[in-house]
Amino acid sequence: MNEIKSAIKWILSSGIQNVDGGVHRLFDIKTGKYDYIYPEIIGYFIGFFDLSDIKKKEVELREAQTALLNMLDDTAKGREVAEEAKKETLAIITNFADGLLVFDQKNKLSLINPKAEDFFKIKAKKISGKSITELAEISSFKSLIDILGPGLKKVFRKEFLMGENLVLETTTIPLAREKEREKSGTLVVLHDITREKLVEKMKTEFVSLSAHQLRTPLSAIKWTLKMLLDGDLGALTQEQRDFIEKTYKSNERLINLVNDLLNVTRIEEGRYIYGPVFADLELITLSVVDSYREMISKKKIKFELKKSQKKLLKIPMDVEKMRLVISNLIDNAVKYTPLEGEIIVSINRTDGELEFRIADTGVGIPEKQQKRVFTKFFRGANAVRINTEGTGLGLFVAKNIIEAHGGKIWFDSKEEQGTTFYFTLPIREEFE
Amino acid sequence: MGKKILLVEDENVVINILKKKFVEEGYDISMARNGIEGLEKMREIKPDLILLDIVMPKMNGFEVMEEMQKDSELKKIPVIVISNSGQPVELDKAIKLGAKDWFIKTEFDPREIIDKVLKLIEK
Repeated sequence: MNEIKSAIKWILSSGIQNVDGGVHRLFDIKTGKYDYIYPEIIGYFIGFFDLSDIKKKEVELREAQTALLNMLDDTAKGREVAEEAKKETLAIITNFADGLLVFDQKNKLSLINPKAEDFFKIKAKKISGKSITELAEISSFKSLIDILGPGLKKVFRKEFLMGENLVLETTTIPLAREKEREKSGTLVVLHDITREKLVEKMKTEFVSLSAHQLRTPLSAIKWTLKMLLDGDLGALTQEQRDFIEKTYKSNERLINLVNDLLNVTRIEEGRYIYGPVFADLELITLSVVDSYREMISKKKIKFELKKSQKKLLKIPMDVEKMRLVISNLIDNAVKYTPLEGEIIVSINRTDGELEFRIADTGVGIPEKQQKRVFTKFFRGANAVRINTEGTGLGLFVAKNIIEAHGGKIWFDSKEEQGTTFYFTLPIREEFE
Repeated sequence: MGKKILLVEDENVVINILKKKFVEEGYDISMARNGIEGLEKMREIKPDLILLDIVMPKMNGFEVMEEMQKDSELKKIPVIVISNSGQPVELDKAIKLGAKDWFIKTEFDPREIIDKVLKLIEK
């Protein structure tokens, strides 16, 4: 036993006890070897240690732990918010009224929304990840890929027929993340224009019919009077000729009025542009100016067309309508500029825009009436005194056309000094 | 024998005036008052040129041109459209269907139309 006892080590076992409000550690003393502890207690060792500092550290640690947990919680919340935003974006894409296709950098389809699935009558999972060439083999994709080409070229409002009754218009938009120059993919937007096409067709038929009804009697009168004047139906006395000439002129005025009205009908309903093509604004202006040369020289007006310093871009426009706008502006300038006045036309390229400007030294627009310049049937009080024949539709039509092209039109004017009209047309970067 | 012109038109005044003018110029002019009659006549007389109205009873001018496109012989006959309407959409359509020119009747007088025909037909 003594042998054994001599070999013992002291073993302490401990517990915590509160003494005098402080926390202390109480130790039992037991004997035993490394691998065996005798169960009986052979004595007690009581030690008092101040653990307040440790306790304080413990509290600090716990606080740090809480803070850390809070941070983790915040991160989780942040992730939730990001997740939510992603869901929202997806919801927008999913429920978007236009069909959307997203292609990645390698021109493989990475996303197709339900509207586009509808258009192509195909499920997303069947075509996700396919390349353009693979898609071209699917019959419903053929017309679209014919337009986009294997390299997904830039396309702006190109229309194509899907099946028998669906007309779609497609535009491609290169996707680039902010501050990154390189494009990360391509967005293909498909807009259903079936209804617009139908309305356009109805409009065309309506205008055609009204033109027919209004012009048929007018052309009959015109042609008959012309025959009489040409002597095809026998010689006329001077008196007969005078009367018929006046009638012919009245008829011509009626024809012009009908032309103006038909133009308004064409422009006003719909208000969208017909088949935009890339065209040169300067060339259009030149050709319009040519048709006014005679009137300009008759009135001895000093006319100048200032060429642009920078090279002008061809931008997409409805050429017929743009010609009408420029013609209306030049017509006003020439009509309301007195003899030997001055007209300057210029076209300039500014940031992202082409700006057309026509400045005259004409009668100007009375200040009180300036607000109404672009309204239908408006005519300046001073303009009516000069010329009773205008319809008051020219600038109204011009404004509709310019706005349909995404541009702006405005003017500066001082009565008795002159007027400057401006309009701008946007240059879309992707077309440079 | 002068060259043969077929006038497909339903408006009497236009018919009378053009008929008189073309006869004076020494042309052999035939008339049809609607699209269907027009197609029948052109198959029968094989005109050198056709003056075609658009808005007509039974078959309109566009439909006439569509039919002409399907026929290898008729397709070759030059067509000049004379109409009261003249929207860009309509002009595009007519040109695609092979029309050589388009006149809005109120914008021209018979003389100008005849000059245009002479130019085309005597080439």
